[in-house]
Amino acid sequence: MAAARDAVERYGDRMAALALVRPKKPESLPVRITRNRIYILPTGFGLFLALMLTTMLIGGLNYNNNPALLLVFLFAGVAHNSLVHAHLILSGICLKAIHAQPVFAGEVLRLKLRFDAAGARERPGLQLLAADAHAQFELQADAQAEVTLDVITHRRGWLELGRMRLSTLRPLGLARSWSWLRPDTRLLVYPALDPSAPPLPQAPGDGDSRRTRAHGEQPHHLREYRPGDMPRQIAWKASARADRLLVREYESSVARDITLDWQLVAELGHEDKIRRLARWVVEAERSGSRYALVLPKQRIPAGRGAEHRHLCLRALALLPDV
Amino acid sequence: MSEPLSRSTRLWCLLAAGACALPLLLLIPGWLAAVLVATAALAAFAEKPWPASLRFLLTLMVGGLVLAAFEFRIGRDTSCAGLLAMLMLKPIETHGTRDARSLLGFSLFAPFAAFLQDQGPLTLSLSLPAAALSLMAWSMLVQGPGVPWLREARRAALAMAMALPMALAGFWLFPRLATPLWGLPENSVGRMGLGDRMTPSEWLDALVDDSPALRAHFIGKTPPREQMYWRGPVLMNFDGEAWTRDVGAGQAPTPTIRPSAPTIRYEVMLEPTERRDLLLLDLPLSTPPDARLNSELTAISEEPVNNLIRYSGESAPSAEFSEALAGWRRRAALALPPNHDPRTRALARQWRQETPDPLQLTGRFLQWLRRDFKYTISAPPVGFHATDDFLFGTRLGFCQHFSSAYAVFMRAAGVPTRVVTGYVGGHYNKLGDYWLLKHKDAHAWTEIWVDGRGWVRVDPTAAIAPENILDTLDDVQRRQRGGLAGAADQVLGPMFDGSDFLRRQWNQLVLGFNSARQKSLLRPVGIDEAEAWQLVTAFGIGSALALAMTLWLLLREHRDRSHPVLRAWRAFTRRLRRAGHAKGLDEPPLSFARRVAAEIPGQAADLLSVSERYSDWRYSGRKMPDQEQQQLIRSLRAFRLLDRSRK
Repeated sequence: MAAARDAVERYGDRMAALALVRPKKPESLPVRITRNRIYILPTGFGLFLALMLTTMLIGGLNYNNNPALLLVFLFAGVAHNSLVHAHLILSGICLKAIHAQPVFAGEVLRLKLRFDAAGARERPGLQLLAADAHAQFELQADAQAEVTLDVITHRRGWLELGRMRLSTLRPLGLARSWSWLRPDTRLLVYPALDPSAPPLPQAPGDGDSRRTRAHGEQPHHLREYRPGDMPRQIAWKASARADRLLVREYESSVARDITLDWQLVAELGHEDKIRRLARWVVEAERSGSRYALVLPKQRIPAGRGAEHRHLCLRALALLPDV
Repeated sequence: MSEPLSRSTRLWCLLAAGACALPLLLLIPGWLAAVLVATAALAAFAEKPWPASLRFLLTLMVGGLVLAAFEFRIGRDTSCAGLLAMLMLKPIETHGTRDARSLLGFSLFAPFAAFLQDQGPLTLSLSLPAAALSLMAWSMLVQGPGVPWLREARRAALAMAMALPMALAGFWLFPRLATPLWGLPENSVGRMGLGDRMTPSEWLDALVDDSPALRAHFIGKTPPREQMYWRGPVLMNFDGEAWTRDVGAGQAPTPTIRPSAPTIRYEVMLEPTERRDLLLLDLPLSTPPDARLNSELTAISEEPVNNLIRYSGESAPSAEFSEALAGWRRRAALALPPNHDPRTRALARQWRQETPDPLQLTGRFLQWLRRDFKYTISAPPVGFHATDDFLFGTRLGFCQHFSSAYAVFMRAAGVPTRVVTGYVGGHYNKLGDYWLLKHKDAHAWTEIWVDGRGWVRVDPTAAIAPENILDTLDDVQRRQRGGLAGAADQVLGPMFDGSDFLRRQWNQLVLGFNSARQKSLLRPVGIDEAEAWQLVTAFGIGSALALAMTLWLLLREHRDRSHPVLRAWRAFTRRLRRAGHAKGLDEPPLSFARRVAAEIPGQAADLLSVSERYSDWRYSGRKMPDQEQQQLIRSLRAFRLLDRSRK
């Protein structure tokens, strides 16, 4: 839905820059929407109706036409109450948590936001707007809702969510009431991957470049589960017997660790280096090799597994810009 | 381009617009309404936009029809019908939400326009569902398709009920205009009722109009029914066919009269007539504030009566006129068209010679009427010498014939005479202690000038002998409605009284409300004539009260609907928090109780006991008996910290 640009879109954004508009600073979760941070502006339809009602009011007063005045005041009362209602729909909503799996820059970050609401009120027709992403949802009385927003990422590093708008047009579409959310949550975006990277560099100084499959066929031994181990490595039967999680360690035939060194790609530009290394990290992980990452002023020792991969990609993502 | 409308949403929007248009549709000529409805139905079924040329052609055509229906006069009614026509054409181009919103917004004008023309119960009761349907359509537009309409209807009704306090505060307290900002709309088609013209040989639609014309309540003594003559326009000029008003009457001075009988005081609620004449009991001694008596003792208001108005008056059943009738005024009251009614003139001259006294002459004439004339509502047609034909030919007629013939006769006899129109009699409503006069109670009578006394009322129609009344209006109506209706009237009479009483109350409370009555609204608090600022203050207070009431209604939803035990526990922890023992969000009830118990050793046992029981209810999974639950709630509520100063 290409929501028509209404007054809020036109002026709300400008208003948000004013010193008085809350929240003034990013705030930590959970964020509860209280009455002092709910704003409301009429929509085009609301303004149009206000104009109609004003005309009718003046006409009714001029002719002292009582039924017409009664009708005008009835509609005015309904309109006024709808503003209060719109306020009440937002008031008391709480943004509990924000979560997203890191993605590579340029991909779509699937943002999951968990809302809940105090009180027995139904909160229909809620719209969440973050950057260009829209989502519609509703909150039942005393219920939670998880909202998914697809945010397109552009660059590596910390993604600041910035200002999000939680708004509603209900109950009558006469006004949009909204509240700004500025969670201080930072979301990691990995660097984009180099699409045309050469194959992984081999370990230096050794002719034996035999690599085997990711995991050998023969179980070597069992060891305690450590966070970051892949679920398929878990020896479920053995774990059940031992009543604790055990992980199968395979005989890996890779003899040497791969070192992904910043110096290896010295000929590239700064961002290209990062992209190339990120690509190699992903490929190295896929190949099952142990790999180390050497960056300026930083060195990540050889390792393997999701945790290690994340550490490497994180380090790359957070490298300072030149 | 706005979003396209779903079929069901579009249907509801069109329905709402139709409901808004309905009150106005009923007020325009029937054939035009039929054409407009047909056009709107065609447009409603158009799923795709029509070509622009077709729409343009249709608009031109409908516009032409509207103008033709009102005989190319541009007035309020023509504009209203034009607006209605545009509204009915709008569905052709209603395919997006934006169009639907503009349709819904414009359609609000339709009931407004209907109210300008008619404020009767039908228009009013039709506008309420129209408002509700509009609200439903607004809500559906913002929700998209697939909304259960019944729920929306309930919400709309609730929204209107909740808006009522605000609406009433606004209605009664919003400062009204004492004088209009711009001119009042002139109606292009006159309303039925008393007119500036009376043609005896012409049938009047007003004679079968059952709608109320005025309601009168007597303060103090009620005059006998046969003396209740409500004086309207006086007709002075006769051209042989029709009686018309004297245009100069407004400029001439009001005659001075001295009441010769105790005066009667009363209050009138006049239905809108679109004319400036007010009706007062014969003979009026004073007028309402913004009206004056003309030289013919008809009360003329400054503004046309476009809305229901209320006024009080004082009248004398009989009075003496101080000034004599002389000069051109006397000549005007004697003027007759030449070449008309030679036989009547001859007879009048002959009788005058035999009976010179005008009152005796009247007596003689009335005796003749009583003897030889019959009353019927269906009078036969008369020719060029209308009065001759009536007096010496048909001898059948109703009030117009009798008063006209008598006036012509008296003028021919040299007695100044004039015709007075108004209402007579009426129906007494016991419920509300008032008299209801309908348009069909319209009547015409005469006044003759008697030197030394002044104008004297003579009602020739009243002289007809009861056995000579062939058929009356009621007979005609009963015939039209069939035999059953007669019996039904017996039963429905009291019911009619009740409904008319309700209507009068509504009129009094709502329709008759204006700036003057608003000013006297503050009388109960000791302000006789409220100033503007006092009214604004009252409006502020009133709307604040209404607002508080609405807010209470809206916020009431906040009520905690969770389990009573849970509610009692929450109240309990709230009390402890206020005393400085805040329970952490993640703190289980029992560890919280133990921590607090350590801080208040005096009540530790109590505190631990309730907390344990609560914890048991909440977490043990055992189903606690109701009685035990009640006890727990009571203990939770009863628990108070004895020493609040302790932290």
